[in-house]
Amino acid sequence: MHEVLLAAGPLRHGTVPLGEAIAFWVLGPIALAGAIGMVLLRNAVHSALSLVATMGCLGAFYLIQQGPFLGLVQIIVYTGAIMILFLFVLMIVGRDASDSLVETLRGQRWAAALLGVGFALLVAIGIGRAVSPVTPTDLNSPNAGGNNVHSIAALLFTRYLFAFELTSALLIVAAVGAMVLAHVEREGPRPSQKRLARERIRSGRPQPLPGPGVLSQHNAIGTPALLPDGSVARESVMVGSMESQEERQALPTPSAGEGGFE
Amino acid sequence: MSPVALPGSGQNVPGFGDLPIWLVLIKVLLVFVFLVVMTLFAIVFERKVVGRMQNRIGPNRVGPWGTLQSLADGMKLAFKEEIIPVLADKAVYWLAPVVSAVPAFLAFSVIPFGPTVSMFGHRTPLQLTDLPVGVLVVFACSSLGVYGIVLSGWASGSTYPLLGGLRSAAQMISYEVAMGLSMVAVFLFAGTMSTSGIVSSQDHLWNVIPLIVSFCIYAISVVGETNRAPFDLAEAESELVGGFHTEYSSFKFAMFFLAEYINMITVSALATTLFLGGWRAPWPLSLWHGANAGWWPVLWFVGKVVAFIFVFVWLRGTLPRLRYDQFMHLGWKTLIPINLVWILAVTSIHVLRDRGWPAWKATVLPLGIVLLLIVVPALMAYEGYTARRLAAAAEDDEDAGREEPTFPIPPLDLRVPTSPVRREPVTAGLRGGATALDRTIDHGDTSDG
Amino acid sequence: MLAPYLPILLLFALATGFAVFSVGIAPFTGPRRYNKAKLDFYECGIEPTPQPMGPSRFPVKYYLTAMLFIVFDIEIIFLYPYAVANKALGLFGLVEIILFVATVFVAYAYVWRRGGLDWD
Repeated sequence: MHEVLLAAGPLRHGTVPLGEAIAFWVLGPIALAGAIGMVLLRNAVHSALSLVATMGCLGAFYLIQQGPFLGLVQIIVYTGAIMILFLFVLMIVGRDASDSLVETLRGQRWAAALLGVGFALLVAIGIGRAVSPVTPTDLNSPNAGGNNVHSIAALLFTRYLFAFELTSALLIVAAVGAMVLAHVEREGPRPSQKRLARERIRSGRPQPLPGPGVLSQHNAIGTPALLPDGSVARESVMVGSMESQEERQALPTPSAGEGGFE
Repeated sequence: MSPVALPGSGQNVPGFGDLPIWLVLIKVLLVFVFLVVMTLFAIVFERKVVGRMQNRIGPNRVGPWGTLQSLADGMKLAFKEEIIPVLADKAVYWLAPVVSAVPAFLAFSVIPFGPTVSMFGHRTPLQLTDLPVGVLVVFACSSLGVYGIVLSGWASGSTYPLLGGLRSAAQMISYEVAMGLSMVAVFLFAGTMSTSGIVSSQDHLWNVIPLIVSFCIYAISVVGETNRAPFDLAEAESELVGGFHTEYSSFKFAMFFLAEYINMITVSALATTLFLGGWRAPWPLSLWHGANAGWWPVLWFVGKVVAFIFVFVWLRGTLPRLRYDQFMHLGWKTLIPINLVWILAVTSIHVLRDRGWPAWKATVLPLGIVLLLIVVPALMAYEGYTARRLAAAAEDDEDAGREEPTFPIPPLDLRVPTSPVRREPVTAGLRGGATALDRTIDHGDTSDG
Repeated sequence: MLAPYLPILLLFALATGFAVFSVGIAPFTGPRRYNKAKLDFYECGIEPTPQPMGPSRFPVKYYLTAMLFIVFDIEIIFLYPYAVANKALGLFGLVEIILFVATVFVAYAYVWRRGGLDWD
């Protein structure tokens, strides 16, 4: 049962089955390229996408190392959930946002250097253990008969019980943290439809504002509508599209030459 | 143990590893063709059924009874101009339809079409592959499908697609939670996550009967997950034009269309597998011994899938689109809590029965706790409701003090002003054909009119 | 051990090939008639106004939804192995899982109470 087969037969490449070797040498460079691309690409979304590629390859690595549950969970949680969160954040930040040159966090260089050294140590230990002779563990017996998930459950809910329950605490922290960072408390209760209707009528202007560009040359939202007498309807221009109140005031008046009917 | 009993092959059906590669290729091709043909069929089917529901005939020009309409539409899309907006991010714009379509196809690789049959002299199960974590493959594919939508919305560089993409992604992930939770009870009953194992665990009783709550939640959440009406907020025409694919045309648009329909077929097939007995024959037919053997099960399977698709179409033909906040409330505040409580109840009953508790005790105790769990929040919710109503009443009282505003209407004794006297046209005017009315308007540019 | 994945790989190759081919061939099969208006982004006939896709154009709400999704996704991932192996884990496992779900439920109730699940 130590023989590992590809559909074609007992082909082997050194000590590693051929299929696994091929998968590794194809996916490994992709994962690495994704990781490098993540750091080097200028566009934030592109760099997030290359991280997605890396995550997907890691999932595939779990699969070829006989961890089907772990592999798919890697794809579901990392590529499916966490990277979607990243993408959301990038989209909220905006597509043309570039790196800020001002460092807002104090001492971040020191912290980054420290963490970098720590990470390098971890990697070094990992590689060191990998090149020293290790006895490979056979996963065929815990996986036999489709028992992969059963074996994981048996370990997770007995031996690693504490870590498992701690995860739930971590999830609470995550949810509360997200609330603290992202939630904007509403001031007062949500106005009812009835109330909104009343307020609208009280405001003295129940009808909608004039649309932009009416009777004008263009209909872009920046172009004010013209009133029948040719003067500019100031209400028709979105406040946000004007740089300032002064600019709104400085809108071309009919006498300044902006045409009405042509 | 023979080397072909792979750990990936589940405990049920041997013979996934020893197939010659050409047979695997044939099966892959069959699944691919099945999906494409089913998509073409589902589009015509939907248009026909919706047509009937609206007292129309539906497409009836292309092919016999209009059956080739979707094929013709697909061909037409191939010869349409491809438009890429100037502001689009070319690479991602190109990638998004591919990312949308590929996971849709992949999800079908674990769906069992039937039992083991004889195919070109080999005994092989009618299933592309069987993993011990089969259902997770579908789950992973649906979470990867979100990328196609987010990326297409972002890459178009336009407002409507971006809004549609974000909305739709938030919607899909919200309903993915409900969908994922609704499958927990099925795994509990089957004791496995492999699709073939789940089908074989339903040989006596389909899961839909004991797990009716899970089934309902699954059915609701997959409608949200596949962006279908009444949850099609991603492409709410009245609000967002076409949503995430507004800027797409030609074959790129066709890919999104294809992905949507394949996703619909996949979730229908998964519903069949998880809850409706998979390829097993429905009751009156199952009395016949040959019903669950040979190639017949494929027919039952496809029949169930089409029935589920019919429900999708029925919903679309019947229900109006939800408002976005109502929709998110349904997902987060209704489906998820019900689901969690239901899972705990089912788990408790299951475990207590296993421990040898008498059936009534094992059922009553968890149900009692669940009732308690429901009653207490319900009371709290009722309290909140009364408080809100009181607040609204107070607000009304406060309003009553002021004069009741009404929509401004003209007074009853309004004297309509007489029309202004038309001025005579000035023949030697600056504008040749200008009317008098025109000139009453102050142009300001009278010099070059 | 890779045999069960081989069909998935083949289907992946086929589907990717199909999608890339279709998407790639589209510019050659279709006509090409230049028109500046076509290449502008679509705003229902309103002339598009060049606006920088600046920050704070979208409610930060989506971030909260995505975060909650991660929380629940992880919860689901933990529930699956329990559901599969619940026979072997017995009463002890039941207590564990109830504790776990209840803990996550606390977070959920907190977010609900604070109005994190409200959309306008």
